[in-house]
Amino acid sequence: MTKIPAYLKKGDTIGITCPAGFMTLERIAVCVKTLEQWGYKVKVGSTLFSTSENYFSGSDAERLADFQRMLDDDNINAILCGRGGYGTGRIIEEIDFKKFRKKPKWIIGFSDITILHTHIFSNYNTATLHAPMAAAFADAGVESKAIQSLKAALTGNPAKYSISSSVYNKPGEASGTLIGGNLALLAHVVGSSSDVNTKNKILFIEDTGEYLYNIDRMLYQLKRSGKLKYLAGLVVGGFTDMKDTQRPFGKNIYNIVSEIIQEYNYPVCFDFPVSHDKENYALKTGVTWNLKISGKKTVLREI
Amino acid sequence: MNRKNFLSLFTAGISLPGIVSAAEFPEPPMIVPPALKPGDTIGIISPAGYITETELQPAVKKMQEWGFKIRLGKTIGKRDFSFGGTDAERTADFQQMLDDSSIKAIMCARGGYGVVRIIDNIDFSKFHLRPKWIIGFSDITVIHAHINSNYKAASIHSKMCNSFPEDWTKAEPSQIETIQSIKDALTGIKMKYQLPANEKNRKGITEGTLIGGNLKTLETLAGTKSEIKSAGKILFVEDTGEYLYSIDRMFWNLKRTNKLSQLKGLIIGGFKIKPDDPGEEFGRTLYDIVWEKVKEYNYPVCFDFPVGHQKNNFALKCGVMHRLSVIADKVELVEI
Repeated sequence: MTKIPAYLKKGDTIGITCPAGFMTLERIAVCVKTLEQWGYKVKVGSTLFSTSENYFSGSDAERLADFQRMLDDDNINAILCGRGGYGTGRIIEEIDFKKFRKKPKWIIGFSDITILHTHIFSNYNTATLHAPMAAAFADAGVESKAIQSLKAALTGNPAKYSISSSVYNKPGEASGTLIGGNLALLAHVVGSSSDVNTKNKILFIEDTGEYLYNIDRMLYQLKRSGKLKYLAGLVVGGFTDMKDTQRPFGKNIYNIVSEIIQEYNYPVCFDFPVSHDKENYALKTGVTWNLKISGKKTVLREI
Repeated sequence: MNRKNFLSLFTAGISLPGIVSAAEFPEPPMIVPPALKPGDTIGIISPAGYITETELQPAVKKMQEWGFKIRLGKTIGKRDFSFGGTDAERTADFQQMLDDSSIKAIMCARGGYGVVRIIDNIDFSKFHLRPKWIIGFSDITVIHAHINSNYKAASIHSKMCNSFPEDWTKAEPSQIETIQSIKDALTGIKMKYQLPANEKNRKGITEGTLIGGNLKTLETLAGTKSEIKSAGKILFVEDTGEYLYSIDRMFWNLKRTNKLSQLKGLIIGGFKIKPDDPGEEFGRTLYDIVWEKVKEYNYPVCFDFPVGHQKNNFALKCGVMHRLSVIADKVELVEI
């Protein structure tokens, strides 16, 4: 059984840290205010005060130290990543999960943070929260479904998402542990200690700003490394801002995925609201969900 | 899994008669295809991107001048969007050239993307018995890695048909030399390259089988049947059009999938780097990125080797033993 960190109660503290790309303190203002309105205390990590002049929110050592402090601090009940970008993979091997292992807490984020989700699930069998990060509070809006779904997830409200069907869906029903995240990161961790076993699981994927041929190549990597064969189900999220080569690839995301999984029989849905766009619902990874895809709608329900 | 089981037999103290330790198993020797002789036939195929017959003409002419016959595959001029024909057509063409014993070498017309879509459907059993040279780079890295890991067969990493100059009188010396290096590699001449030292190099002299290719392609082979086995080898990598952060992530992939720890040597080829977006400066150079990953090891490392998506992209024999000498005033890579 996956270990489920304690859900948050009023008065609990959420720490905000940036393990990857740089972010200014102003960008998290709405997030901090909102979390406080929800009844939580907020502790802002040192990476939000970084004087870094490059891509990262501080040196590897600084980002690692901030994350480690939050992980080990008993007074912090959940860690919300400020943003993704790139850089978590540079420090992942250095993070000491000893204390976390004994007393897990929710780790929240997506995109580059996918590496934390897969790493923690594979190595420590612990649930994490794939969800909007600090900047989304201002960008998507506090009242957006995405931010509200994060609010509900933190307090332990089991989620139930119902969306309309895509003609590309493969109907069916499956229950299984949910894992997934950003496709580029899922492909990138194959063969490393952060790799994830997908057998009998419901896998969700999303990506942004990639060339279509590269999406195809990454899905071929997942397929050829045996990640797609024994899935319980596949949830395809948003693939936003796709780029194409001068000679068009000739397939969109629906065609690419459909072609790659056509030999398998598990249910597949498209356009699930998990993405780099505003539609990015909170998903507890490592937890059991039921996926039901019918002609009319898709329901993903935490069980 | 098998390896784990195998090892656990020994740790459990069970002795099995007739089974010797891994160290007593010598690595099976690499299979090196025979050198080409005048009159031999080279087949040209498009296993990835699309190309027209017209675009091939400079390469065809040149290779005929070298004394070879040329056979164009059915995928030449075929087009399925960006691909040189459908997956089925590209598979059939490659398969036909592999199995036809009158074809002594297969040159890929160009790279692009697409080999990974067909490689699992290619039957290498005839090739395994009677190997022939397969030539190309970039997306063709999939073939090099695949046949090296699965069949221990050597192959040629070099320019392809789309890099032969149309007008040889206007060609730069490096273009002429690099195209000549393909002929040398095909005809059994031992390769020998020398380049000036780079102050970022790590000195040392080493010997090992050469493997490598396009870094992004190597990364996306991790976990698959085509994944490279780098232990005890000299690895070369090159890439084009990638951001520094992405190159960093790819080197982390090599490191985290254990491909850097047991190398004999590392050759960094050309990297055409996509400039950072304003405000997103990565703050590290290619040198920093590489050094950070290999500083804990001791093998020689050299930079700016003439291999990559560039004019000075010399032929390298993958799967063949080389000596890499990274010394104070120069770097030498010699086939041994």
